[in-house]
Amino acid sequence: MKSIRVIIPIVSFLAVSIFLYKGLFSDPTDIKNANVERQFPDFNLPDLMDENLFYQKDSVKGDYTLVNVWGTWCVTCRVELPYMTRLRQEGVRIVGVYYDNAADAAFGEVNVEQTRLEVKQMLAQLGNPFQFNIYDVKRDLSLDLGVTGAPESFLVNPEGVIIAHRRGAIDERVWQKEFQPLLNSYSNQAKSQSN
Amino acid sequence: MKEFFKFVIFITSVFASANLLAVEENYPFESEAKRADFEALVQELRCPKCQNQNVADSNSLVAIDLKNKTYQLVQEGKTKQEVVDYMVQRYTQFVHYDPPVNHVTIWLWIIPGFICIFLVLFVLKRNRTESGSQITDPHIREAEAIFAELEKQSQLKANSNTTQEVDK
Amino acid sequence: MIPEIGHFSLLIAFVFSICLAIFPMIGAQKRIADLIALGKPLVHANFVLLSVSLFCLAWSFYHNDFSVYYVAMNSNSELPWYYRLSAVWGAHEGSLLLWVWILALWTSAVAIFSRTLDDDDVARVLAVMGFISIGFLAFVIFTSNPFERTFPNFPIDGRDLNPLLQDIGLIIHPPMLYMGYVGFSVAFAFAVAALISGKLDATWARWSRPWTLAAWIFLTAGITLGSWWAYYELGWGGWWFWDPVENASFMPWLAGTALIHSLAVTEKRGAFKSWTVLLAISAFSLSLLGTFLVRSGILVSVHAFASDPTRGLFILIYLLLVIGGALTLYAIRASNVVSTHRYKLFSREVFLFSNNILLVVALVVVLLGTLLPLVHKEIGLGSISIGAPFFDRIAALWYLPFCLLLGVAPFVRWKQDKLSRLTGKLVSGLVIALLTGLTFYLALEIDSVVTMTAVVLAGWVAGLTLLELVKNKQILKISLSHWGMIFGHLGFAALVLGIAVTQWGTVEQDVRMKVGEQVVLNDYTFKLEAVDFVKGPNYSAYHAKFDIAQGDKQFDLQAEKRYYNVQSNVMTEAGIDASLARDLYVALGEQLQDGAWAVRVYVKPFVRWIWLGGLLMSIGGLLCIADKRYRKILSAKALNKPVGSQDETQVKAAQEVQA
Repeated sequence: MKSIRVIIPIVSFLAVSIFLYKGLFSDPTDIKNANVERQFPDFNLPDLMDENLFYQKDSVKGDYTLVNVWGTWCVTCRVELPYMTRLRQEGVRIVGVYYDNAADAAFGEVNVEQTRLEVKQMLAQLGNPFQFNIYDVKRDLSLDLGVTGAPESFLVNPEGVIIAHRRGAIDERVWQKEFQPLLNSYSNQAKSQSN
Repeated sequence: MKEFFKFVIFITSVFASANLLAVEENYPFESEAKRADFEALVQELRCPKCQNQNVADSNSLVAIDLKNKTYQLVQEGKTKQEVVDYMVQRYTQFVHYDPPVNHVTIWLWIIPGFICIFLVLFVLKRNRTESGSQITDPHIREAEAIFAELEKQSQLKANSNTTQEVDK
Repeated sequence: MIPEIGHFSLLIAFVFSICLAIFPMIGAQKRIADLIALGKPLVHANFVLLSVSLFCLAWSFYHNDFSVYYVAMNSNSELPWYYRLSAVWGAHEGSLLLWVWILALWTSAVAIFSRTLDDDDVARVLAVMGFISIGFLAFVIFTSNPFERTFPNFPIDGRDLNPLLQDIGLIIHPPMLYMGYVGFSVAFAFAVAALISGKLDATWARWSRPWTLAAWIFLTAGITLGSWWAYYELGWGGWWFWDPVENASFMPWLAGTALIHSLAVTEKRGAFKSWTVLLAISAFSLSLLGTFLVRSGILVSVHAFASDPTRGLFILIYLLLVIGGALTLYAIRASNVVSTHRYKLFSREVFLFSNNILLVVALVVVLLGTLLPLVHKEIGLGSISIGAPFFDRIAALWYLPFCLLLGVAPFVRWKQDKLSRLTGKLVSGLVIALLTGLTFYLALEIDSVVTMTAVVLAGWVAGLTLLELVKNKQILKISLSHWGMIFGHLGFAALVLGIAVTQWGTVEQDVRMKVGEQVVLNDYTFKLEAVDFVKGPNYSAYHAKFDIAQGDKQFDLQAEKRYYNVQSNVMTEAGIDASLARDLYVALGEQLQDGAWAVRVYVKPFVRWIWLGGLLMSIGGLLCIADKRYRKILSAKALNKPVGSQDETQVKAAQEVQA
């Protein structure tokens, strides 16, 4: 009995060590987005450039769509614009969700005209990957999507299900590794169906 | 005197509350219960972007949005649990500092409880066996006699030590 | 040149540590006097070498030598000289150097103050400490060298010290904390040496006690300082957050607190020997685990150092060697330990062991709460957070039995006692407790059952502790260690009271204010008098002056919002009016578009009592360590044999009456 008792500490310590070891190779800040493999949330929001034009969930369905949450105030967003523009030229459908800087928005009115001007300048300068931009007026859509900052991207399949998610900029490496394979498997499926 | 102070406080508070209208609370509430819910919630909700801060203490963008949303939901009359569920639905369980009970987190309660019981049994059992062996084992009785003798001696020695010190 | 001298000293110290770990140990096992005699010179040489090394780093900081990478990353020519010096431990590499230096300091102290202990026992202890220092020196030299140069292109100026650390609290907080963490290595080394030699008697417990107490004092003071610093520096009035890094310091503290109590039993009564050894191993192991958690970046924390898996892996292997080795040794040796001591259920032994049970349970809760999110994620269940709501719930269950037992324990005699003997005192204690509760209830109108329970329990602990003091007729003749116990327990009561009342009674107001406007909180009026732009040595700031009025009493508070130029960081310097009854706390937020300021105002009743409690506990520890029986142990050769196993305070009291 006593010999069993005295090995309890070393056994528990070794068990803990296994998890400490595993923990070394995983990033604790990498938290899975809650919306992956769920339907894209419902919304009803205006176009960034035209407050009379409204989009709903159907606007991101029908084809594979990359939904990109961004803002002109966000530095990393500038970085990914050129590559995403290239993706658009390759035929990927990209929809922007414009995300105001919450700190500015919380303490005063946001000037939409000013934002539109900045957006036009920035897209003219760095390339425009977007089919259109949804203006997330109160940032409710972003909150429903579980967005924690900009930029974030969601890949939505034709049925409106989010199948991939990325925090931070999209570049060639990320696209090839995390997004392209999903598109390939779909086009293979489509081919085999048509055959 | 005391009455006078009460009067002063009353007057100043009337004066102050008139002035208070100018100061805008960031999150005004009519109901104290709602205010309490809100304050508890922003303490319990974790900023999903920050190092390790709750929503109340963080100034990051997402924390501001979560705080505003919490305010809106509480004002709409949602209960604390409903607000937590709303946030967890969107930001996973990570956003709440109180973990859900499942087959892993239940060990947070089981292991400490088990250790507590184990140690209590340990001290009870030792207590029983040792007082039991007192009668049966002649060796222990012998050792005990030696021990008592030693104790007496050392006590005497300690005594003489102190007296020496006092003498000095 | 100077940095190279520092680096070179480190390398020699590393070689010396290896020698220290090997030769004295062989000497002690094979009884070779020459090898045993090597121990002390090696220890002192190590201390000198590491002091040189630390001095060289400080020199480089002082003279703004930005060709040293670490200096360039953590200092700036505009930084005041005292922060340039404290920047030595402002980041990972330098703080590790401080760690090993402190280890060398403790080792040297052991070598000096253990003259009366058998040479082979000292040799084993020093060798174990040498073994500990090998790992850390290797870690510094191979993964985290603070003397690395930036040649050939070095920067003109440095990237500045993290503004959070530019504060008096942060000058002294890390060294204190490290003195505590590393100090437990002495008790660890004594325990492991005792396991190796097989001499697990009261002697090792008696020798470990003052060292454990010393480490515990530093750790208590360090944690208290850290909590106080977070309160005034982070700008949201919090004093404890259950952050993994805070938990990492709290776990060794809990183990250390349990250890100083169980050492008392083992020394005086010879009971719980193997348990005490296990605690001594645990206290230092948890310090090491804390180091791992902070520096490997495997947990999300506010204070984590830059994370790096290779560094993490290095420490993990080291943990496996040191902790795994010690626990394996324990598993082999501890089963042979036979306890001859007997006691009844109602005895001081059992009360002190109950203290240990509750402290260990608390420790396990904190450990699980810290590590379970990691496990949860690794087995694929997703990320979870364990924070204040969980820990508060457990704490509310925990403090009830802890305080109840803590109040009674000092009255209970060793071996066996009768409850009936204590009835009178317990009734008086209960009366004091209820009166305390009633006073607080009437004065503050506390409407929470949990808070009231805690207040009554604080009154119970404080009341009984004072009763225990008064029962000694000649207060002036009470031994210092007895006073230590009294201060320690009163400190704990103050802590419980402070936590309970602050948690319940804090009120806050989040407002936008223009200059000239005012806000009322409780019966205090806070008026924003003026906001000025000021310049500091390496920052610029908005300086706000608040006029506070309560009745006809008036005073002012200054709060700042600082912008540090080099790292473009914004820091909040809160304005605090402190008193025992309440703190007023004002923090200036960002400036809003219409010229108003976001301002947070708090009234925090009794928050000072939390740190007062920590301070009293540290003083208690100091009094214990100042007790003359330790000086006797440290100086008199004759006392290498067991001192009286009776409770010495009782013996002394009896003698005093006789005299």
